Amino acid sequence: MTGYYTQLIVNGIVAGSIYALFAVGLAMVYGVFKFINFSHGELITWGGYLALMFSSPPIALPLYLAVIPALLLTVGIGLAQDCFVFRPLRQSNPISILIASIGLSYLLRNGIRLFWGSDLQSFNLPLSTGIIFGDIYITRIQILMVLSALLFFSILYFLLTRTLLGKSLRAVSDNIELSSIMGINMRKVTWTIWILASVFAGSGGILLALDTSLDPMMGMNSLIKAFAAVLLGGAGNIWGALVGGLFIGITENLSVAFISPDYKDFISYGLIFILLLIKPRGFFGIAGGVR
Amino acid sequence: MDYLYHILIIALIYSIFAQSLNLELGFTGLYNFGHIAFFGIGAYASALLSLSGVPIPVAALIAIGLAGIAGAFLALPTLRLSGDYFGIATLVFAEMVHLLFLNERDITRGPMGLPNIPRPDWIGTGVTSLPLLLAVVFFAAAVTFILLRIITNSPFGRSLKVIREDEFVAQALGKNTFLIKTKAIVTGSAFAGLAGVLWAHYITYISPSDFTLQETILVLLCIVLGGKGTHWGPVIGAFSIIFFAEFIRFIPIPSEYTRFVAPLQGMIYGFILVIMMLKRPQGLISESRGQRTTNA
Amino acid sequence: MLLKLDGITAGYGREPVLTDISMHVEQGEIICIIGPNGAGKSTALRTIAGQLIPTRGEVRFKEKNISAMSIAQRGERGLVFIPQGMNIFPNLTIIENLEVAGTLLNDKHKLSHAIKEVLEKYPVLNKKQHSFARELSGGERQLLALSRSILLKPDLVLLDEPSLGLAPIVVDMIFDQIIEIGKSGSSVLLVEQNARKGLSISHRGYVLELGRNRLTGTGQELLESDEVRQLYLGG
Repeated sequence: MTGYYTQLIVNGIVAGSIYALFAVGLAMVYGVFKFINFSHGELITWGGYLALMFSSPPIALPLYLAVIPALLLTVGIGLAQDCFVFRPLRQSNPISILIASIGLSYLLRNGIRLFWGSDLQSFNLPLSTGIIFGDIYITRIQILMVLSALLFFSILYFLLTRTLLGKSLRAVSDNIELSSIMGINMRKVTWTIWILASVFAGSGGILLALDTSLDPMMGMNSLIKAFAAVLLGGAGNIWGALVGGLFIGITENLSVAFISPDYKDFISYGLIFILLLIKPRGFFGIAGGVR
Repeated sequence: MDYLYHILIIALIYSIFAQSLNLELGFTGLYNFGHIAFFGIGAYASALLSLSGVPIPVAALIAIGLAGIAGAFLALPTLRLSGDYFGIATLVFAEMVHLLFLNERDITRGPMGLPNIPRPDWIGTGVTSLPLLLAVVFFAAAVTFILLRIITNSPFGRSLKVIREDEFVAQALGKNTFLIKTKAIVTGSAFAGLAGVLWAHYITYISPSDFTLQETILVLLCIVLGGKGTHWGPVIGAFSIIFFAEFIRFIPIPSEYTRFVAPLQGMIYGFILVIMMLKRPQGLISESRGQRTTNA
Repeated sequence: MLLKLDGITAGYGREPVLTDISMHVEQGEIICIIGPNGAGKSTALRTIAGQLIPTRGEVRFKEKNISAMSIAQRGERGLVFIPQGMNIFPNLTIIENLEVAGTLLNDKHKLSHAIKEVLEKYPVLNKKQHSFARELSGGERQLLALSRSILLKPDLVLLDEPSLGLAPIVVDMIFDQIIEIGKSGSSVLLVEQNARKGLSISHRGYVLELGRNRLTGTGQELLESDEVRQLYLGG
């Protein structure tokens, strides 16, 4: 019977790696700009759909090449969001930005529906051949998901702890006023955050699409999980968000053994609700700060 | 002509819904993004009760009461959260309620929804039903408008506005802000429930997909566009949005393009929300105040 | 004249906090601004630093009008601001704090050299260089904040309430360091609530009250003045 649970945990780690990617991006944006970007989910969706577009006729690039323009465009969307919507609203009431990000998310999501329709789509790739380790079944793409997440996080860790840019980024999320006194280049830091968040979200979206399928709501659904993960780890705490993502992935998948799969999402919702009420700073939360 | 009745009825129902949210959001500064849940609770409660034989007026009253109670249930834990966290908590609440509608199939029939919701006998479903329904809904909307106007101009209403501007000042003045805010939410939820009741008995078929984030965005749009904290703002907003939504159907669109209509509409709604926040957060009709700071 | 303020009027909203403030700092001086709460001392420093733009008057640094320059631009010209309160990054290590504090040096080699200098000068920071700044005591934090002056070697360093929240023994240590900074070639302009301590290390001082110049004189003169004694030094 342990094989069953182990399989669920493995599924959980796979799902959790991707949630962690989304959560980390969301946490970074919150850590520096102090707002929850409701339209973060659409970076996920657009990443996936753009990769589909570049790898399908008429462009028909092989997938490993198609991800490059897909991610570049996703980064473009992320930067445009900041440039045209979030930056002008930076000094406003946090509610204005929240509503604006809700509007943006609606705009972008319907953009997907406009160009690609609402039906499920998928990549037609033979990546779903699986490997069997003892009792565990895992597909090639799922292994890729976990490895990609590991790679991204390693790069992020290196960036944040070994480069001046990364340290400046952490400084900005600690104390933005002090950072400008220090002479830190805010524009560079801003761009870096959005590039990182967009790349993580877009890549996660592509991987998710490869593992399951594409639909216009995929970003929104992932956003809820990502947000729960961010809250769990402490709003703004990157590594907490990572752990939070894994935790939610594993919990969701394990829960299938106990409750109806229809209520899987309920876990994330419930977690968010409870965490907001008892501990909006999460379990590793220290006031703000990207760490 | 029938179609005009339909649009007017929908617009009036939405104006009740928008006004109810405006009481919380516009007047008290509570960004309750879960408001659709009470619309849904009102709708489902009245539908289920009347389907099992309860006379419609009784069912309606019970449903409105239930919506109000649910509002209290939401308010109690969430009111201590700060503005944007409150918005998220209420949003999540609505999603959870939606999941319940979807999955408690024994009660709600899940995604298949509840058809054949009865209408009062004297209205029926015949030729004269629409004008009568319009009259009923108009009456309800007028009552809502008047009641809310009375509430917001009363001392209670004034304390709501004080809380919106500066809660600390309100507390310093000796007000129990928690109780006042709870009352605001309960009232708003009850009116939302009323809108839901009207919806259920007009459309006669409801399903969980009527009560999603999309509707939250729509009603938010009504308020943001029309002007929060005003009496006519949400009404103007509701009429504008509903008329715009339905107007599209009159434009002759070749069939190969009809699938673009809904997404385009959605994009326009999203765009309007963004632009309003950027350029005119106070809405089309702004509260006329001397030196009001623009808190969106 | 290193720094000159001429008829500065500045504030945060409708009402100005400072009205017609004038002062100056010569090279090699340590100047102290004292006064009661609400006098506008920190506001004056922030205006010089660049956080506030004066509605009237000029801030002249090294003969140039810097009133419209950003904080970073002033830093590049040799005017460095060390604010009060949270003036280090709690979630960065000491070394990382120094690296970020030295951003304006724009040169990796200069920076690592300067950091070495700081760590040699302050063994306590050297010992804890890989600890997070949030783990430091109040005095150690202030030392870390002050070490930005050693890193950047500015012509003028602005210190806002360096003794804030520190125990008396630690305050003495910090003020010794401020004297050291003065000796090493940077001029100092500090705002101090602890008037006695502040004046005791200063060449000259300015007393502000309700946003205006009230008194000025040498450190010694102000320490001995009956008026100052009564009002600010506790008789």
